[in-house]
Amino acid sequence: MNKNGTFDNHGETEEIITRKDFGYYLSHILLGRGGRIVLLLIFTLSILIPIIYIASTSLKEPIEIRTSGALFPTGPITSINWIKAFRNVPLVRYLFNSTVVAFFSTLLVLTIAIPTTYSIIRFKTGGWFLPAWILGTYVMPPIVVSIPIFAMVKMVGLQNTLLGLLLVHTMANMPIAVWLLDSYIRAIPKELEQAAWIDGYSRWETLLRVVFPLIRPGVLATGVICLILSWNEFLFALILTYGVQSNTFPIGISRYVGEHGLQFGEMSAAALAGIVPIYLLVFLFSRNLVEGLTRGGVKG
Amino acid sequence: MASVELRNVWKIYGGKVQAVVDACWKCNDGEFFSILGPSGCGKSSTLRMIAGLEEITRGEILFDDVVVNKMPPSQRNIAMVFENWALYPNLTVYENIAFPLRVRNLPEKEIDRRVKNAAEFLGLENVLQMGVRRLSGGEMQRVSIGRAIVREPQVLIMDEPISHLDAGLRARMRDELKKQVERLGVTTLYITHDQVESMAMADRIAIMNLGRIQQVGTPLDIYYNPANEFVAGFIGEPPMNFAAAELLQEGDDFVIASPSFRFKLDDICKSNFLQYRGNSKLKLGVRPEDVCVSLTPLPNCFELPVDFVEPQGDRTIISLQMDKDQTFLAQVLGNLRPPVGQMVYVRFDQRHTHFFDVDSGENIFYNR
Repeated sequence: MNKNGTFDNHGETEEIITRKDFGYYLSHILLGRGGRIVLLLIFTLSILIPIIYIASTSLKEPIEIRTSGALFPTGPITSINWIKAFRNVPLVRYLFNSTVVAFFSTLLVLTIAIPTTYSIIRFKTGGWFLPAWILGTYVMPPIVVSIPIFAMVKMVGLQNTLLGLLLVHTMANMPIAVWLLDSYIRAIPKELEQAAWIDGYSRWETLLRVVFPLIRPGVLATGVICLILSWNEFLFALILTYGVQSNTFPIGISRYVGEHGLQFGEMSAAALAGIVPIYLLVFLFSRNLVEGLTRGGVKG
Repeated sequence: MASVELRNVWKIYGGKVQAVVDACWKCNDGEFFSILGPSGCGKSSTLRMIAGLEEITRGEILFDDVVVNKMPPSQRNIAMVFENWALYPNLTVYENIAFPLRVRNLPEKEIDRRVKNAAEFLGLENVLQMGVRRLSGGEMQRVSIGRAIVREPQVLIMDEPISHLDAGLRARMRDELKKQVERLGVTTLYITHDQVESMAMADRIAIMNLGRIQQVGTPLDIYYNPANEFVAGFIGEPPMNFAAAELLQEGDDFVIASPSFRFKLDDICKSNFLQYRGNSKLKLGVRPEDVCVSLTPLPNCFELPVDFVEPQGDRTIISLQMDKDQTFLAQVLGNLRPPVGQMVYVRFDQRHTHFFDVDSGENIFYNR
């Protein structure tokens, strides 16, 4: 029981840990502060490089685009692509169309999905079948229903209109909205609603004034996701719209095919112009979004 | 304020599960009435039907002799305190208490007056502007009571309101709750699985098991005169001892006998049994405090070995070894601590010895 004894003991235990846990050091290096930063950097770059590439391409001379594949412009920087992108193709109109479709379809989705989900959870509407069916439609590839949907939209005379497309987007995004909202509504204790009923609210008032304020973050996340999905949607937009008055941005991008092949520079400029609004939106709501997605993932 | 009456009320789920079977009782105006039973006994279903949160399968519920079966919860003028308190987490204490008043569109002045009154009554003045998420369990409890009483309901329903609190706080809240409800004088239905809460607070108790009302009575009535074996065993801590026994006639005397004990019935008990024509096999029930243990022989006693001794200061719990690994608990004064294995003299207090029918479990001498 002296100093030496204690020191020896210490040395021994440390050695045992060293021998045992080689993996510990490995993960320590990988997951330590430095390692984490490196990993995140690699991850971020792999996502950012295509965007950086588009940005730099949109600033290159058309000649350089065709001859050099370098990431950053080697020649002079020009704004000609940006000017042409907006002049040759009605890009503003496409962005406007996309905004209208995304905004109103999202609004419609939320208006319908919130009561729907609430009703499924609280009143067991549709039994086991309705929720299963809703999830089923989400799993199905949209191409499967493209022809019937085209026929249906045409039947009511809404082909080539924004209303037609936004209605289809509403339908297409409904399952994911129900799915995301599910865990939020489920998390609200029943007693809270019962207290509201006893306190004098009707079922609708309870939904609007008690449930809705509590699921607002979830509604926000769901809304942003629906906006993104609608903004990026290509297939239905391709089938249902065939004119400047209703083409959305993803379809508009494909207009940059000229006589001399693809106009890469203009396309890059247009693409960048198209992703900026949605990136800003996601950036603003990133906190809600992450929460919404992880909750949906864990619970759904 | 109002009386609440149940007339042959049934609740059957999905056509099969009988949650409440033929419930009949009346809670008088201003009474503190407790529904007591183990979990799953149908007490919550009963309460939810009274609150209007659940449909009544059969029968009638009356408030002040008016049938309310079809009335939605909002029109019954009831208030409810939930087990998890069900406070609106996005609102402050003030807004939580004001909520039922805002629903009724009362003028702002009136709301403020009533909320302040309730807060003062419950000692919540200092936390009125706080969010409810930051409150302690006891405070949340009081806020939920505040929300319940602020609109002066005719019936106050409490569903296990303090069972989420820890033991010390629970004991304190029990007294506090009782005092508050007494001051309000409102008809109160109090649902709990904890017999201590019911015994301590209620004017009358309805004991439920397996969907059926077992007995309705004052706490003392239920304690000293249980209707059946379930009630006898459910109420009281440590619980009542039960043993199979046989009634024998020996000349002019009646004798209760089992492999472990044998004693003569005294005159009062005997006169009860004179009219008895039922099965001679019985179940005997006696509370631990009615088991007398002595180191010296008593008249009409029998001998049993001591199994273990649990001193608790003011009293001692002695476990007595019966046949077939059965034990009988006896609660005696703290100074009596016989060593384990010693034979002691035991006698039951026959005034408080109960006899139950072997098959039905009914108390043979319970007069309904």
